[in-house]
Order: sequence, then C-alpha cells, then structure tokens
Amino acid sequence: MLKPRLGYDNLGLGVGLRTVHFAHILEHEPEVDWFEIISENFMDSEGRPRSVLEQIAERYPIVMHGVSLSIGSTDPLNRDYLKKLKSLAESVNAHWISDHVCWTGVAGRNTHDLLPIPYNESTLSHLVKRIRIVQEILERPLVLENPSSYLEFKDSTMTESEFVCRMAEEAECGLLLDVNNVYVSSVNHEFDPVKYVEAIPAKRVVQCHLAGHTNCGTHLIDTHNGQVIDPVWELFQLLHQRTGGVSTLLEWDADIPPFPVVHEEVLKAKNYMDEKLHVSEKSFVEKAVANTSSTAIPHPASFITAEVE
Amino acid sequence: MSDESRNLDRIQRWMQTVICWPSGVEAGIASEEAQSKIPLQSSELDTVITASSQLTSQERLGIYANAYYARLLECLSEEYPALVCAMGKTAFGAFSMEFLQEYPSTSYTLCELGAHFPQFLKETKPATEDGEVNWTDFLIEIAWLERVYSEVFDGPGIERETVLSAETLNSIAPEVWPELRLKMAPCFRLLEFQFPVHEYISNARQGNSPTIPEQQITYLAITRRNFIVRRESISQSEYFLLSKLEQGLKVGDAITQFAESGLMEPDELDVNLHQWFRHWMASGFFIDVCDS
Ligand SMILES: [Fe+2]
Repeated sequence: MLKPRLGYDNLGLGVGLRTVHFAHILEHEPEVDWFEIISENFMDSEGRPRSVLEQIAERYPIVMHGVSLSIGSTDPLNRDYLKKLKSLAESVNAHWISDHVCWTGVAGRNTHDLLPIPYNESTLSHLVKRIRIVQEILERPLVLENPSSYLEFKDSTMTESEFVCRMAEEAECGLLLDVNNVYVSSVNHEFDPVKYVEAIPAKRVVQCHLAGHTNCGTHLIDTHNGQVIDPVWELFQLLHQRTGGVSTLLEWDADIPPFPVVHEEVLKAKNYMDEKLHVSEKSFVEKAVANTSSTAIPHPASFITAEVE
Repeated sequence: MSDESRNLDRIQRWMQTVICWPSGVEAGIASEEAQSKIPLQSSELDTVITASSQLTSQERLGIYANAYYARLLECLSEEYPALVCAMGKTAFGAFSMEFLQEYPSTSYTLCELGAHFPQFLKETKPATEDGEVNWTDFLIEIAWLERVYSEVFDGPGIERETVLSAETLNSIAPEVWPELRLKMAPCFRLLEFQFPVHEYISNARQGNSPTIPEQQITYLAITRRNFIVRRESISQSEYFLLSKLEQGLKVGDAITQFAESGLMEPDELDVNLHQWFRHWMASGFFIDVCDS
C-alpha cells in the first residue's frame, strides 16, 4: 500500500532559502524547521552560495527545488544537468528533489519561465515517460509542482487537476501542491480551486507551497511577494485535512522582507491545522485590492550578485 | 516521434518564438518563424489558445511575452549594476533586448545568461575612424570587469586549499628560487583597463552616481579570499612581472625579463621585489611552487 507522502518525512514549516537571508540565518540560527533551495543556484557554485548552503545543511533539513528540468519539453532531457542535480542532492543530503509540471524552453533554449503544456493524452504519456527516466537517473521519486498559469490551450482535453492526478499515478511520482498556484490559476482559468484540491491523490502529496500573488484586476500573477491571502490559507487547510499534514513551505521572492517576517508568515499555517475547523465557503473571494502594476513578474528568478570588497 | 508529440513540439517552438519576439506577440504570430510552425492569422489565435472571460487569447499570451523580457532584464541588471548606472536604465534595457536576441539563454542556470554581454557590447561598438578610446570602451570595460567579478565570486577558489605558508617559503633556499615556477590561485585574474573602472563600479554598487572618470591606464589584480572578491590596483611593473609568472615562466627568467624591460632602475629592483613577493604571498595570489 502507498505510504502517505510516498514515505517522505513531514518536515514541518519551512522557508525558501534566499541570498539576502544568508547572514541572518548563519548568525541567529532561527528555529525554522527546514529550508528549500533553488537547485540551479547551487549546483555549479564553488563560492559563497555553496559554502553557506553546506553550513546550513549541517543544521537544517534541505529540500531541492528546481526550475530548469523542463520535464514537459520535447527537447531531450539534459543528462549532465540531472547528474549534477543528483550529486548536489547527495552532498547536501536533500530529502527530495522537486520541479514543475511545465516546459522552460525548446530547441536548446531556456526562457527561464515555467511555461504551460496542453493537457491531453499524448502530452500525458510524454511526461510520464520522461518522469520515469528522471526517476531512474535520480534513483528516487521525483516530486512535481502544479505551476501558476496565464493561458490555456485549445488542445487540452482534460483539466489540470485531472492531468496532474493521472500523471502522478501513472509515473508513480510525488506532488508538490502549491495552493497559491491552484488559486491563481483558478481565477485566471475560472475553475473551482476547492474541487482541484479535493481531486488530488492525497498520499502522493509530499509537499505544499504557500506564497503571495498580485491581483491585476483581470487576472492574478504569481509574484511570490507579500502575505498569503485568506482564500489560499483555506485551500491549505483543506489540503491539510485531506493529507493529514505535509511539509509546508513559504516562497517569498520579490520585495523580500527580513527573515523573521518571512518565518512568521509560514508559522501562520499552524492556525489552519486544526482538524475540526471547517472551510468556510463564503471566504473564497479575492479580497486584495486590484493592483494593475505592469511590473509584476511571475515567480521572479533569484540571481546571486557577486560580493566584492 | 508520434503525431501527437510532434504537435507538442510544434506548439512549443511556436510559443517560444511568439513570446520571445522582440516587437510583441502580434508581430511574433505573423513572423515567418512562427508561421512555419503554426500558420495563423492573428484573429485565429483562439484556435490555439483559449480566451478567458477577462482576457483575450492574445492578452494571455502577452503575459508570458512581458515576463520573458522583464525577468531576464532584471537578472542582467543585477549582474551589471554599474553598467546600468553608466548607461542609464533605458539604454541598458534597449541593449539587453538586442543582447537577448543575439545570445538567448541556452543553459539551465541564470549564471550563464550574462556571460556574453561584454563581448556583445564589443561586437556592437560603432567603429571609430581614429581608433581613439571613447565612452563605449569605458562601458565595455565596466561590463568586462563586472563579469569577472561574477565568475571569480562563484568559481573555484582557495578557501579550502592550503595556501603557501610562510614556513614553506622560508624553507626554500635563496639559490633555488630562480628555478621555481609559481602556481596561481584559480580565482586569480590579472587585468589591464583604459579607465579606472574598478573605482567606478565600487562607487556605483554603493548606490552613488559617480562621474565618468578620465582615461587612465589601470592594472588590476583580482582574487577571492573568504568568499569575497578582492581587487587591488597595481603598478605597471607589478603587472609585468605577475603576467610573466602567470604565463608559467621560472621566477629567475621572469625577473630577468623584468629587469630588461627598463620599467625600473636596477638599484630599486631588489627592495621592490622583496616587498612585492611578500605582499603577493600574503594576498594568496599563488597556491604552490614547483621546480619542474
Ligand atoms: Fe511554488
């Protein structure tokens, strides 16, 4: 029988590791349960980022989250990348490796964006085949996240939740359910986020992501800034009830506040872990004031700037 | 390849072309490159991408097009903050757009994104008739040094290596020295510029708006200690000698060539050599001595 979280640990409430917090974490050793790293920022590093990561990995559990696997692309898988991913996982003792249900580029190029794929039988079998290969190379189940998306394809014959569920079952991989992404996409594509979360195979959910987004009036953008809004917390609560609790992590990538503020935000999750609490239907309303700022960038990339004396 | 996966391949090549098209989604759809993947009138976009009740299919595709340039421009600005300061945001943005056409990312890591930016600036430099050093050269030099900073910062270093200790050096008999070669630290870089760009960069990175410096030949020795990039301005003499050592010349031969260069009066040579070597050793420029 399938074990909850595919047998992976529930690490508790974690924070995405960002360069601006390096000094604070090393100096204060905050009581955060675990850290998630952006794999690509560390896999080639022979400088301070890698050294800081090694120090942090001595004290905290580490999970690796990638943005360039491009599992949905029709380009061949990058074996060199996978080898490096595996060796980083070994060296920092990563609990698991995750990436996204998306493609990032084709014809040898990388747009550094998480681009959506059409959801149909042929794309499903394409992904399942590739996930199996990746799992063989990494020698562990891959964990894949539902991305935020801003368009849908005419070629789709199934909903995203149907696609993600079948993909997880058929490829025997894990899921990283980003409840903010579910919410963002539900507004953009006008579906019911509760039904999405209710359809997910609970035991395959290894991890959950929380984040803030930007309301552009006509659509939402997954900017990873600001606080988590109530409707997203309520999706989290529902997921918690369905899974019995999974490792949960807050992503904050733009206008990053001091570490304690980020940590405090993820600790709010405790308020939604009471099994007896009921999800209130009426609060599934976007409350944030429309912000039509054109500077909103989906999941901003984190680039590490050199330190020079 | 099955029919269906060929479809996915076509959709991906088409979508990448359209969202990366510099003059926008509409022109992207109409482009020959996109048309060769999916022949389409702008008005037929709904046959590939659906609309929502709030946004047209073109507006939805446009979100990805905006994000592509915004995200990569932000990364380039973070790698080249002093260049942004010197060029101004608008010009930097325009150059970045062109740069991304010429050198789109082909790597899984963003660390590689800006690698060719200095070279790109050089390639697009308008030819000057008199070959005189000008403002564009200044910009190219800033870009070049900022890229070196990135590479030295995240590349191999000496933090985990045992650097040459004073004891090791003292144990070498004076008569052996001329026959030795020095192995440079992997993070060591020796550079020559037409402008004191290192000062400009430091100033700009501190958030100031420095004025453009006068032309002045500048020699820099760059290395990394404790994971921080260190740069120091050195004399032409030091530059000469260090470059000979970096080329792998024996210490004796490097000194002979230096003496013959006429860069220094013979009577000053001894004192300076002694001081320089002590300083270079202390700065971790060398990681080993070898006698072959
Ligand atoms: Fe996420």
